[in-house]
Amino acid sequence: MKDTSIRIKVLKDQLLENKREISLERANLYTDSFKQSEGKSSILRRALATAHILENVNIAIKPHELILGDRTIKPRSGIASPEMSPYWILDEIDTMYSRPQDKFYFTKEDKTIFKEKLYPFWDGKSLKDYVDSKMSEQVKQAINIGIVKINQTDKGQGHIIPTFEKIFSNGLAFLIDEIKDKLKTNVENDFLHAGLITLESLKKYMLRYAHLATTLALEESDYNRKQELIELHDICTKISHEKPQSLHEALQLFWFVNLALQYESNASSISTGRFDQFMLPFYRQSISDGIEEEYCRELLRCLWLKMNDVVLLRSEDSAKYFAGFPTGYTIILGGVDKAGRDATNELSYIILETYGDIRLPQPNIGVRIHEKSPMEFLMKVAETIRLGTGIPQVFNDEVIIPGYLNRGVSLEDARDYAVVGCVELSLPGKTYGLHDIALFNLLKVMEVTLDKHKENITSFDMLINEIKNTIKEYVKYMVDGSNITDAAHGLIAPTPLLSCFIDDCVAKGSDVSTGGAIYNFSGVQGIGISNLSDSLYVIKKAVFEDKDISLSELHHILHNNYHNNEIARQRFINKYDKYGNDIDEVDYIGSDILSYYCREVEKYTNIRGGIFQPGSYTVSAHIPLGEAVGATADGRLSKEQLADGGLSPMVGRDKNGPTSVLKSVSKLDNYLTTNGSLLNVKFSPSVLDGVEGLRKFVNYLQGFMRLKIQHIQFNIVSAKTLKDAQKNPLKYKDLVIRVAGYSAIFVELNKAIQDDIINRTEHGM
Amino acid sequence: MKKAMIFNIQRYSIHDGEGIRTIVFFKGCSLRCPWCSNPESQSTNKEIMRKEVLCINCSSKNIFDCKQSPEFCPTNALEWVGNEMTVDQLVEEVMKDHIFYNSSGGGVTLSGGEVLVQGEFAIEFLKKLKSLGIHTAIETTGHGNWNILDDMSDYLDEVLFDLKIMDNQRFKEVIKGDGKLIKDNFIKLVNKGVKVTPRIPLIPTFTMDKDNINSIIEFLETNKINEVHLLPFHQYGSSKYKSIGKEYTLQKLEPSSKEQINRIKDIFISKGFTVTVGG
Repeated sequence: MKDTSIRIKVLKDQLLENKREISLERANLYTDSFKQSEGKSSILRRALATAHILENVNIAIKPHELILGDRTIKPRSGIASPEMSPYWILDEIDTMYSRPQDKFYFTKEDKTIFKEKLYPFWDGKSLKDYVDSKMSEQVKQAINIGIVKINQTDKGQGHIIPTFEKIFSNGLAFLIDEIKDKLKTNVENDFLHAGLITLESLKKYMLRYAHLATTLALEESDYNRKQELIELHDICTKISHEKPQSLHEALQLFWFVNLALQYESNASSISTGRFDQFMLPFYRQSISDGIEEEYCRELLRCLWLKMNDVVLLRSEDSAKYFAGFPTGYTIILGGVDKAGRDATNELSYIILETYGDIRLPQPNIGVRIHEKSPMEFLMKVAETIRLGTGIPQVFNDEVIIPGYLNRGVSLEDARDYAVVGCVELSLPGKTYGLHDIALFNLLKVMEVTLDKHKENITSFDMLINEIKNTIKEYVKYMVDGSNITDAAHGLIAPTPLLSCFIDDCVAKGSDVSTGGAIYNFSGVQGIGISNLSDSLYVIKKAVFEDKDISLSELHHILHNNYHNNEIARQRFINKYDKYGNDIDEVDYIGSDILSYYCREVEKYTNIRGGIFQPGSYTVSAHIPLGEAVGATADGRLSKEQLADGGLSPMVGRDKNGPTSVLKSVSKLDNYLTTNGSLLNVKFSPSVLDGVEGLRKFVNYLQGFMRLKIQHIQFNIVSAKTLKDAQKNPLKYKDLVIRVAGYSAIFVELNKAIQDDIINRTEHGM
Repeated sequence: MKKAMIFNIQRYSIHDGEGIRTIVFFKGCSLRCPWCSNPESQSTNKEIMRKEVLCINCSSKNIFDCKQSPEFCPTNALEWVGNEMTVDQLVEEVMKDHIFYNSSGGGVTLSGGEVLVQGEFAIEFLKKLKSLGIHTAIETTGHGNWNILDDMSDYLDEVLFDLKIMDNQRFKEVIKGDGKLIKDNFIKLVNKGVKVTPRIPLIPTFTMDKDNINSIIEFLETNKINEVHLLPFHQYGSSKYKSIGKEYTLQKLEPSSKEQINRIKDIFISKGFTVTVGG
């Protein structure tokens, strides 16, 4: 699309014009319902609260809209869930608008309502209260010391991909009938009652929009808009009971269900899955019914804008770990189908192109590639990456599918994997995976181990063994903490509506939070592998092989954060090889430890009968996790960030270019991190110049695929980065500028040339 | 074991021939082009480079007065240029990107300096690469012994061959070498049936004048070559002269505008050449 349509322009402007506010509407309705439902079971109370919201929340239809439904009338409002934890909201009530990350405005009236009505009601009754009361001293210590971080202790669980298969092929009325039928023989099952309550309220919610569309159509003077509103009325009415047929109907139904799920749990990453697969029949139907392709594209753009309307309100601390309120409308395109054939289709291309028209953070698009991915699709992927927004990220079927087989997943299901949130791997419609339940700080493990054993470690192997012992000890605490939180969600925050969209909850008569899903993982992330490899390699060489320094002397230097020891620090950075440069001796250190972590994690089961599975990714968590760790032997200062991503080399330490980064990462056992892993790679824009540049970029991706790495995401170096490098040359020693026949380290160029490159980068060189 | 003096191994090179390549830079060159962007490539000896921007002044206020060794220098502001490597070491290093050569049709390019200066070693290295099925190329000035070039070309898929200044007298004045030798070698390679791709550095006031461009075209037409790479002048190497203790004379020379480059590109195109700007 060369020129944005007026519709898209107006809708996009509307989305972004206002400051983000806090909305207490859901909290108020939820609390009102809870005041009425005293004495009923927890799951029924949740269902009644969700129904109360769906039937009473303010709704609107805005000019030009083709896809209807917002969580709040004011765009991009943050929704508070005091039932999860009223405490942090109270603590941060006056700073939410001034905090560094993800600011929200809280009106004076709302502050009063929160303090006088909501807080007193939830004080002592929230999810957080339950979790805190159950955590053992050891788990608390593991958290306080900074090795373990448990997520979702004060917010919705999310991290799941609902299935639309049943509602798309049968309609909502079928789902309602099915659950009623099931109730006949299971009258006592509160989950089924709860599911029915929420499904029926979902129907009412859709009909409210149908009604509003008619009302507005009657008032509308513009003929075209009047027709649109009448059509919207028909669509909303139809999908409130029947199955959808056109793309418009399917998209609208998809979005209503998503909004209802947001009202239910206000959770991060209720993700989208294989959108080009499940939407394809509807797209083809519309095209064969004579709908213009451009109109289908316009509908998709409207949906992409909607996905940006849902932002997640997090506490200040949580926002540090997950900055930019990622909501996780993650779409996955391409890949193989259940029979192992390439599944790329026309919609895969159209989705990438319409994303390029919008270029907002959501949807978060990923593509799956494999040996048989069409070259044309790979070229389209490369072209989209060249836009420089980091989208799409790329996932590798060739390692992820075998990884799942190793976890006992069926081949068919493994081939159907998709992505939750950022990079978490999940089997759509069948998994409640707690994909983001905990983080495990491997670098902190090293620090704690050194603190404890610095005097009695006499060999490198002994050090590695002590580190492994510490991992073993703390993985157990992480598991305990995760299971406590898991149980808390089952008791206090079940999600019956969501469960109606996950197999086999209805058949089993059980909520996802109590084991209703087919697959029941808990995903825990091992983080810091890059800094750990680098640090241990310095210790191996300097302490145990070259004997330049004793372990306790080194410990002393680190303990004092390299104070008066800048020369030692620089030597540690520059004189010892680092992870990311394709050097086996360094890379295997981290690889062995990550594998050990994975094997430890795999030993544990969760309370839903599933296993714990390891992952390795950070979103922005490398910053707060770094704050928890003192100086390390890789030259990292106390509190300095860890390497980003999860598997990426430490910033500035990879000097052999992007192929050697992939080679280093490929030495990790990437079959084990089945919960997902993340690799960021930096590219200068000139690398993707012209068709030739794109083709070689695709060849790079093919190399990535054959090296069996799970994930890669590209940062196309911006002028801003280059300017920062100009000011901080020591931080950016790895930044290579490639031009025809030549490449240069950016920071070593003189200022005038640097300025020239910055200038050309700004103007799309 | 025979060793070569190598000053850089650059992986993921994508502007220098087919596919994703690794370029091995051989140290030592028999020519002295004033626009040379790798002045550290000229001498065959190991040298110390002094990178001011990386210096934290731990031992001296001025890096150019620093008496420390590169081994000591904590930030590698002082760095050795030149590393002696055996054929086996080099093969191990370049084979690390084998998977990318396969996915892209790339391979290994030997560059310099001038690879002919360490020709015998390079032949051994290329032989080994060929036995492993690697696509091979050299970037050469062509200024060297024909017998070596002849032998070497038996193990090469492509020769990227610089054509700079066609007038022998002027060549001698500016570049300090034998222009005729280069042209003879070029012709012999072409006649032998080796794939030769000429690369023409476009250096304002040196190589871009009409006469020179016309002579190049005439020369290439005679040799039935219809593809060229044009390499526009840049200043990216300028800061290295000071680092290596050499004087740079083209500090003030402005790189050509896109229009000037296109003008020359169009001349070649009008004569029926396939032109790539850059590699």
